[in-house]
Amino acid sequence: MWRFCLRMQPILLVAALTVVTKPAQVLAQERSTGETTTSEAEGYFTEPRAIAKGIDFAVRTMGGGDGDRKDGFYPETGAMITGAGWISAGPGYRHRLFDDRAIVDVSAAYSWRGYKAAQARFELPNLIRSRLAVGTQYRWQDLTQVDYFGEGTESLESNRSEYRLRSHNVVGYGRLQPVRWLSLQARTGWLYSPELLSPVGHFKRGFPSTLEMFPGDMAVTRGDQPNYLHGNLSVVADTRDHRSHPVRGGVYRAEWATYNDRDGGLFSFRRTELEAAHFVPLSSDRIVFALRGWGVVTDTDPGRTIPFYLLPSLGGHNTLRGFNDYRFHDRNMLVVNAETRVAIFTHMDGAVFIDAGNVAARARDLNLDRTSYGIGLRMHSSRATFARFDVARSREGWQIVFRLNDPLRLSRLSVRTAAAPFVP
Amino acid sequence: MVMDARPRAGWFVAALAMYMPMCTPEVRPTAPTPQAPVASLWRSPDDLANRDLFHGVWGADRAPRPEDRYMLIRVKRSGVNPGLTVRDGRGRKWSVKQPLPDALGDEGPVEVTLSRVLSAVGYHQPPVYFLPSFSLTDDWGTRREPGGRFRLADPSLEELGPWSWQQNPFVGSQPYQGLLAILLLLKSSDLKNDNNSIYRYRQGDRIERWYVVRDLGTALGETGRLAPRKNEVELFERSRFIIGVTRGFVQFDYRGWHQELVRNRLTPEDVRWGATLLFRLTDLQWRDAFRAGGYSPAVADRFIGKIQANIAEAMRVGEEPSSGSGRQ
Repeated sequence: MWRFCLRMQPILLVAALTVVTKPAQVLAQERSTGETTTSEAEGYFTEPRAIAKGIDFAVRTMGGGDGDRKDGFYPETGAMITGAGWISAGPGYRHRLFDDRAIVDVSAAYSWRGYKAAQARFELPNLIRSRLAVGTQYRWQDLTQVDYFGEGTESLESNRSEYRLRSHNVVGYGRLQPVRWLSLQARTGWLYSPELLSPVGHFKRGFPSTLEMFPGDMAVTRGDQPNYLHGNLSVVADTRDHRSHPVRGGVYRAEWATYNDRDGGLFSFRRTELEAAHFVPLSSDRIVFALRGWGVVTDTDPGRTIPFYLLPSLGGHNTLRGFNDYRFHDRNMLVVNAETRVAIFTHMDGAVFIDAGNVAARARDLNLDRTSYGIGLRMHSSRATFARFDVARSREGWQIVFRLNDPLRLSRLSVRTAAAPFVP
Repeated sequence: MVMDARPRAGWFVAALAMYMPMCTPEVRPTAPTPQAPVASLWRSPDDLANRDLFHGVWGADRAPRPEDRYMLIRVKRSGVNPGLTVRDGRGRKWSVKQPLPDALGDEGPVEVTLSRVLSAVGYHQPPVYFLPSFSLTDDWGTRREPGGRFRLADPSLEELGPWSWQQNPFVGSQPYQGLLAILLLLKSSDLKNDNNSIYRYRQGDRIERWYVVRDLGTALGETGRLAPRKNEVELFERSRFIIGVTRGFVQFDYRGWHQELVRNRLTPEDVRWGATLLFRLTDLQWRDAFRAGGYSPAVADRFIGKIQANIAEAMRVGEEPSSGSGRQ
């Protein structure tokens, strides 16, 4: 019971802040001029005035939905990975130069659990009549309490441990967009020797250090982690009507990535991902059925391995909602989510969902044996999900999820730097 | 343990720096300059009864054509409302203020309507028009976009920069005081210097300097400091205008920034002067002004009803002996 109360406290605290802090982050992800105003499906019940006013206040305070981020200072609320705590924030500053031909963007953030991140980005977004974008980004992050339960689907919940990962990453990237809904992306970068340390930070949950719990792990025994030269190629087809609150359309992604250990090659590996989400409106958009699948397979040359912090991972608010974040790690993973949203009010949906997936050492052993299900609420405008509250159940108990984002988003679409650690 | 005082002082300075933008200079007239006679702010509307408030003083010729295809020049990167700079088929450049999705009130219609009213009663305004939607062409093709307020970059007007509500050549003059009274009557809540522009207006060999209150969209709703709601007829109808008269100054139900412009600064005569200008507008002119902003007749009539009630209230203000403690 005390754990339930502990989880509820930040949820109640953040509820008041939600509509104020989220719009700048999520609404900004919409494309610049490709979307026209959409009228929102009315809910099955008359919306309480307080909800409409809350959404109105959020949109007017933070701006909304024109699709592109404004110039100037902004609150950075979306820079942290899963597990950073219920809120993170920091200052950001963005400026466009040369008549929108270049963007400079710098930001930093600090999270509830003491995670820290800072980034600087320079991008030329509108080359060849907006068909080509190239850019470079530097990111530093200090992730103080990342969960690790061991490798394999049979890893024990009682083996929960935490580690701290500190890293620098610099990347160069390009995105070719021959038509509005299709993009081809390439990225290469240098992940400078990540530091694997014992957990620190605020609100520690008392779990042992991964370095002590898994002393025989290859990454732990190695001590100093190698430098990685990494690169990836991806293709994304996106026909969703809105990125953060899709009602119709879909997004489909295929990615191939390589991580090259530049200090001996032991941790060199390749990773292939396929991911798709599709949204079907029913009953005049009052009901939306969403289906999403995500598969990741990795391979190495003989004698090589993958450090645990870069292994595909499953569990938590974006995959198996009834399990802890980062609950399962292995060389391959598969997850399928089905969710039905019903418009209770114009700006609030009720949701029922089921998640199924698993990890496996061999891709052919993947299955959907790990399941969770639950119900939730979604607060949203016509274009963006501001907040969601999910209660999920799995064989390992209940999980309460409160997040300031859409549940079935493809989080990697907006990530330019290397995914270290692998974030489910 | 004794803490070093310097970090505390740093925090204090930082907090003060955060507060400073809210501080404003004393409200006082600057020395009149030859470039800024009162006519730079206001010119007596001798032909007021004949003025066309649908097309405005800039006329129908300058209006944007709904069937035109507008080419995107750039996307607006500041402010809350989305916006674009576009070029029409005749090569004219327009600044378009679009509606904010999911917001309950839209600024574009308010801005066009208030611009019509202000220009009709003698205050200078740039050419603004309302289109409910338009065709936009950009790198990705042509599509329909939500419309809004279209402001023309007319070659006769050159924008020189903002002017200060607090310190300008007109502070204390009847047109300045009356302008504030009119804006309060219309529940304008955004008395920021950034919303004011000085224009150089050229007509033949005549050059004038205009002091313009340009961004008028935050009105016809409630007043407030943090994201006040605008363009909401229910709120506007429920709102109060004048609270009373204290020590010879009219007290307003105004909760926006820059109370120093409003509190103990406007006399009943100032308020009556502004209201009298508005009173001279006919019902047809009021309806035309709202029609120019894209309002339906039913909604327009409700706004007009409340505005006329406010005008009547303003015309009566100061007639009763003041109690000195405010009048309800």
